[in-house]
Amino acid sequence: MAHPLPPGLTQAEVAFVAEMELVTIIPRQRLESIDLLSGKTPVLRPPHRAELPLWLALLLKKQRRANIVPPPWLHPASLTEIILRETKENPEAFSPPPPPPSRAHPREPGRARRLAESDADISPPFQPSCTAAAPAGYLPYHWLEVAEALLAHAGDDMPVPAGEVRSLLRDLVEVRAAKMRSSTSQLEGFGGGLMSLRGVGAMELAESRGFVLGVVDGVRKIGASAEATRREEEEAGGGRHDDDESDDDMGI
Amino acid sequence: MSYYDVDSILTDAEKIPCTFQFDIPDLGYLENNPGQTLKTGARVGLPLWLAEMLAIANTGGIGPDDQGKSFVAFDLPPALGNDVMQALKADPRAIPIRDQSAHFYSLATHMMDLSDEPELGTVLRKTFVTRAGEIALHARKAGGGGSSKGGASEEGSNLGVGGAGEEFLRGLDEWERKLFRKAHDGARAGKEWMEGVKKF
Repeated sequence: MAHPLPPGLTQAEVAFVAEMELVTIIPRQRLESIDLLSGKTPVLRPPHRAELPLWLALLLKKQRRANIVPPPWLHPASLTEIILRETKENPEAFSPPPPPPSRAHPREPGRARRLAESDADISPPFQPSCTAAAPAGYLPYHWLEVAEALLAHAGDDMPVPAGEVRSLLRDLVEVRAAKMRSSTSQLEGFGGGLMSLRGVGAMELAESRGFVLGVVDGVRKIGASAEATRREEEEAGGGRHDDDESDDDMGI
Repeated sequence: MSYYDVDSILTDAEKIPCTFQFDIPDLGYLENNPGQTLKTGARVGLPLWLAEMLAIANTGGIGPDDQGKSFVAFDLPPALGNDVMQALKADPRAIPIRDQSAHFYSLATHMMDLSDEPELGTVLRKTFVTRAGEIALHARKAGGGGSSKGGASEEGSNLGVGGAGEEFLRGLDEWERKLFRKAHDGARAGKEWMEGVKKF
């Protein structure tokens, strides 16, 4: 009956999972490949960029063995663009997640094709969305966690002072939290639904899960008796309807 | 609703105005007339569980014209009365519904199960959803020690003036308190994580 933890991942767990995200680093020292459970890390040779999991990148950064290249979407210009989109252009929805990786079509100029053939390869956890190659202007699934970690530990690698990025990030968090709060207001009338949660990050979900589920559950309980009445009516009047349908099927 | 749900048990204890449809001998003490007969039409407040039983139970027809009559007929409790509903329609946030009943929504859903009140459902749904948004706003800001200076999103709310926010929170019923707790736990855990990032 009473579970010790609410459903879903907690914030600490989300932050832990986010450390698997790949980020781009510029190594300062040579390092041979390490055989990790998740696969071999690339060999690090100083002037060449490499992609490492966030936790390893932060470790090397703290030991001053590497610099982290912040993902393009964390650039102030990109953040400003996203905030503008969230507040002015489309204040009703969250900004969309990054598009699947694609490359210009070799024979047909102006057309692009997706790199991955199946959808399984491009869903958020497996898509390298925090590397230097990630598109600007789109927030990946683990945007808040990665951004906070990078700001806290690799603030000197940012192209602009970290404080500037941080204040933009705070604005974005507030704007989206307000949207999350109002996302349930469409449940007001019958037949209304939740606002689409496409593009919401893992940390935001962890924060608002309890609240949103609570509201939905409350609305369900309030509407339970009306729903039961409606069902009964439908069943009473629906018997004939079902017969009609099956007759149609027979006719075909 | 679980058997051991304390809120559900407490909801069952809420008083419902009932009208007796029979003369009942020796029940006069309910109306402060010990030893007398309780007359037909007497209005007594009974707890929800008892009112439900008496209203549903069939008397089996004591007299010839009593067929299908139950012992009592119940009305909506004052907490769900017309005045409150009109006020909720006007502004859901203005009413401390805890003053009406500490288990307002659960009482209301129970009453809707017993009698058909389509309008009640619509008003309650609107009330709950509107107040939920306000609750989330308070939950995010409460207990933060004023550490987060707000963005544009907070403008126009009655936060920061102190008194108004507190008054609203005092007027939450049990469902809403649970909701507030959930929202507040989420927001607090988020804040804790954000402060803990640097120590990692």
